[in-house]
Amino acid sequence: MPRLRYLVIVLSFIIGLILMILPLPDWVQIYRPHWVALILIYWSMALPKRVGLWSAFFIGLLVDTAQGTLLGQHAMALVIIVYININFYQRVRVLSLAQQAIYVFVLLAMIQVVVAWVEGIMGRPVPILAFFSAPFIGMLIWPWVFVILRDIRRKFILN
Amino acid sequence: MRELTLQARSATIHTLFLVCICIALMVADHRQNYFEVFRSQLSLTLSPLRYLVSLPALAGNWVSDWYKSHTELLIENAALKAEGRKLNARLQKMRVLMAENTRLRNLLGSSRNLADEVIVAELLSVDQNPYRQLIEINKGTNDGVQIGFAVIDDFGVMGQVIHVNQISATTILISDPEHATPVQFIRSGIRSIAFGNGSTDQLELRYLPATADIKIGDELVTSGLGGRFPADYPVATITEIKQDLTYGFVSIIAKPKARLDSSREVLIIKPAG
Repeated sequence: MPRLRYLVIVLSFIIGLILMILPLPDWVQIYRPHWVALILIYWSMALPKRVGLWSAFFIGLLVDTAQGTLLGQHAMALVIIVYININFYQRVRVLSLAQQAIYVFVLLAMIQVVVAWVEGIMGRPVPILAFFSAPFIGMLIWPWVFVILRDIRRKFILN
Repeated sequence: MRELTLQARSATIHTLFLVCICIALMVADHRQNYFEVFRSQLSLTLSPLRYLVSLPALAGNWVSDWYKSHTELLIENAALKAEGRKLNARLQKMRVLMAENTRLRNLLGSSRNLADEVIVAELLSVDQNPYRQLIEINKGTNDGVQIGFAVIDDFGVMGQVIHVNQISATTILISDPEHATPVQFIRSGIRSIAFGNGSTDQLELRYLPATADIKIGDELVTSGLGGRFPADYPVATITEIKQDLTYGFVSIIAKPKARLDSSREVLIIKPAG
């Protein structure tokens, strides 16, 4: 069963979801990076044929359920960033980790914009500055996520 | 190269399709609860993760219970016994009052039910959207919980159930900016609506006339209007009255009685009847 190796990808998303609902003190919560998005960006960049738009959609729905947002809010945001990633991954793959991190910041900020936009349409107050602290932390964390997931990919020979 | 262009084109079509689905889902989810069944299934698949995540907190409680010293337990036991006796004494009076109340209500021909059934539940320590006030509790449809049931702790009203799956339920707190609680002043009987404003120690009452009979320290209970919350459960105490003379209304700040950010055990009220 060589295909069983690919469960590692599913497992990485499960860990991402756990990290997103892990209880943190109130003041840290707004700095929590979008773990699921970071993991999704990595896999869709490394294995674009395996992890694509539909994965983004279903994972997004799970994030929406976990966060109590509208069904489709995170799903739409994740589908959009994976779409962008599909068009850019070949160029981004060859960049240095620091340059990649900036690209990841843009993608993460885009998620926040989409989520905040929907919140705004529903007439909920949107704390603009707080919304962008999480992508910033995500950017700082990206090199580690990248290295860890790359090692996992090599270890399990996923391609 | 041609393959790549084709790939990109199919990706664009897929993306547009999925984005449309997402928008449709969001609209349907916002307007009406069409997808409650779907959401509860998704939520059920997440349940193992929620239990896993709240395991350390549960284990922590268990360990601290286990290692409580003998004397500490004795003291706690004595305190609880005293409390129990006090409550029992009060209950005896309550029973008489309740019987009398029911008799009088029967005489009047009013059929309001007094006894509500409760389900005891515990909080799962998971974080949700940091910009909303939601909590997750460990009882679901298997225990008879349904959407709209009121949730209280031992001090007052906490919120109501908005999503439910077989084994857990999401509760919106009364302090969520999207939540409004129909309330009534005990002292003056004025009815109003208490809005959440996003912080767990504040509720706002808007649009009360400046001449209304309201004092700091007045107590608010649920009015039972709207049918979601049963009547007469404590909600909040008035802490601040902001009077603006150029404006015909006062804005009032109240402090919720329930410990919204620290209660671990909650009661879910099954509406009677």
